[in-house]
Amino acid sequence: MAENGESSGPPRPSRGPAAAQGPASAPAEPKIIKVTVKTPKEKEEFAVPENSSVQQFKEAISKRFKSQTDQLVLIFAGKILKDQDTLIQHGIHDGLTVHLVIKSQNRPQGQSTQPSNAAGTNTTSASTPRSNSTSVSTNSNPFGLGSLGGLAGLSSLGLSSTNFSELQNQMQQQLLSSPEMMIQIMENPFVQSMLSNPDLMRQLIMANPQMQQLIQRNPEISHLLNNPDIMRQTLEIARNPAMMQEMMRNQDLALSNLESIPGGYNALRRMYTDIQEPMLNAAQEQFGGNPFASVGSSSTSGEGTQPSRTENRDPLPNPWAPPPATQSSATTSTTTSSGSGSGSSSSSATGNTVAAANYVASIFSTPGMQSLLQQITENPQLIQNMLSAPYMRSMMQSLSQNPDLAAQMMLNSPMQNPDTLSAMSNPRAMQALMQIQQGLQTLATEAPGLIPSFTPGPIGPIGPTGPGSTGSGGPPGPTVSSSTPSETTSPTSESGPNQQFIQQMVQALAGASPPQLPNPEVRFQQQLEQLNAMGFLNREANLQALIATGGDINAAIERLLGSQPS
Amino acid sequence: MAVSTGVKVPRNFRLLEELEEGQKGVGDGTVSWGLEDDEDMTLTRWTGMIIGPPRTNYENRIYSLKVECGPKYPEVPPSVRFVTKINMNGINNSSGMVDARSIPVLAKWQNSYSIKVVLQELRRLMMSKENMKLPQPPEGQTYNN
Repeated sequence: MAENGESSGPPRPSRGPAAAQGPASAPAEPKIIKVTVKTPKEKEEFAVPENSSVQQFKEAISKRFKSQTDQLVLIFAGKILKDQDTLIQHGIHDGLTVHLVIKSQNRPQGQSTQPSNAAGTNTTSASTPRSNSTSVSTNSNPFGLGSLGGLAGLSSLGLSSTNFSELQNQMQQQLLSSPEMMIQIMENPFVQSMLSNPDLMRQLIMANPQMQQLIQRNPEISHLLNNPDIMRQTLEIARNPAMMQEMMRNQDLALSNLESIPGGYNALRRMYTDIQEPMLNAAQEQFGGNPFASVGSSSTSGEGTQPSRTENRDPLPNPWAPPPATQSSATTSTTTSSGSGSGSSSSSATGNTVAAANYVASIFSTPGMQSLLQQITENPQLIQNMLSAPYMRSMMQSLSQNPDLAAQMMLNSPMQNPDTLSAMSNPRAMQALMQIQQGLQTLATEAPGLIPSFTPGPIGPIGPTGPGSTGSGGPPGPTVSSSTPSETTSPTSESGPNQQFIQQMVQALAGASPPQLPNPEVRFQQQLEQLNAMGFLNREANLQALIATGGDINAAIERLLGSQPS
Repeated sequence: MAVSTGVKVPRNFRLLEELEEGQKGVGDGTVSWGLEDDEDMTLTRWTGMIIGPPRTNYENRIYSLKVECGPKYPEVPPSVRFVTKINMNGINNSSGMVDARSIPVLAKWQNSYSIKVVLQELRRLMMSKENMKLPQPPEGQTYNN
């Protein structure tokens, strides 16, 4: 290095014959050099001609790392390598190592040439609306995710047959066209209590495979989900529609502010394509596609041409309208610009509430549920009684843990069974069911040993039935003890998943008094041991942290560390 | 690395060693450093790069720095300055200068430390509780000096 004292331009390769040539002209024989490319996770060696440009080098790399060249950022000796540079220019010789960062978000092609300009003008004027919008967006985003994921978890259970999706669309429109129904559903305390359990919600969210895909693509989402404060906040907001509207208004305002800033539109569009589009597409597959797809795609198809800088005054497609309707929507589909790291993963509340609303609809869109809905609207008290029974809680849990089971249940559509339907619509029958449930509870306290064996016998003759009628299994009493041993074996011939499910149901029915979840100490036994081994000796604090984070060790550790003075 | 048994390694030797390490990519690949100008015979001006650690607000970002190793290096710590805008404790908000008194490695400098150590320490500080959740300016902004 010290010998290359010539000051004409960048240092030349220290090869004898070619040293006399200028650095710009290609040497007679391009030497192949081996360059190691190192990411934080892996390391690969590449053989490339010495005189290749960074762009060519990236192309060779992109194949092996399975990314696009746009996503690759190469760093050597503390400098970012630009596409038009050459390897020689930066002094990259044989055997040296280049660092690679793969950006996880795709940037539209028009952006790559002017990132600093757009960002520069964004600074001051955008900072104020952003500080408002980040707080809004972090709230609104998880809300969208919360209800989307949570209810999606349930709805995906019922989506296993194609017939359902057609039915869903119809029912969805019907439901959405009747806002009173929606309101009543949201106000139903059962729904509210379900929404207020962050653990349950998170479980449901995680169980949805689409969510899992989204989480892989955007790791910030998983951070959001794991942050119990945000979850609680958003669940509160979910319960309070007025607050939601307020927030949406704020966000729309912030969005329109951002849009009118020069360069802000680009950032917004970038955020949309990076984040929201995949989410909307994934979330709304069942609902006839992303209503904003045409809006976005028309501009991106024009290969980086700048959309006009004036505000878009055409009415945007209405995400809530049934397909033929042409109402204009006041909401925009773009998202807030990347303020904080958590804010950068946000997508618009509108887009997600659309999906959320759709998912709420989809749950109630099965024909059986629809009739159930009618019951709800006619007699909310009755349904509240039935649904507030603690066993529903564990039904939800077992549903979320075992989606196949529940999918089967939905498929068999116990609600469609006219017997159960009529039973449900008959208030006296419902009361009888309640009595039976109470009877089972007393049984549980008086003679707990009877319950497990009690379960299968009476179910057999009834066949695949919904959860409501499992309680109607034969009268408790002296006949049970004699009939159970003989009947215990017979029901095993029933359809397996249904049987198991119903067993779980009745066990939950009978076991309503004990706590719904196993003792947290037992649940987190393994995690507690790990924390102990790591040196967190305060068992109480560990337990608290684990409960708060739902068993996530990393988050619990952070909680524990945060509580200590840093 | 430099022998730490009391032998004083001359500055240029040290810096040449660090240059070689920077080019060979020693370390885990999350920091990078090299001479700002390859013709710089005094080996004073260096550029560094830190890749924002995951699970923080710095995630997925690449921070560019300028490190200046004065004539008394490695007996005195280098002066470090962020080029990419960053919001972090110990970094001056308007100039990007790293305050030597608030970064432990710079405040308690030892001559066995190196540019790599400084960069890695800054990255570690990004992961600290007090810094990891600080709101960050939009990507791509730099300080204007």
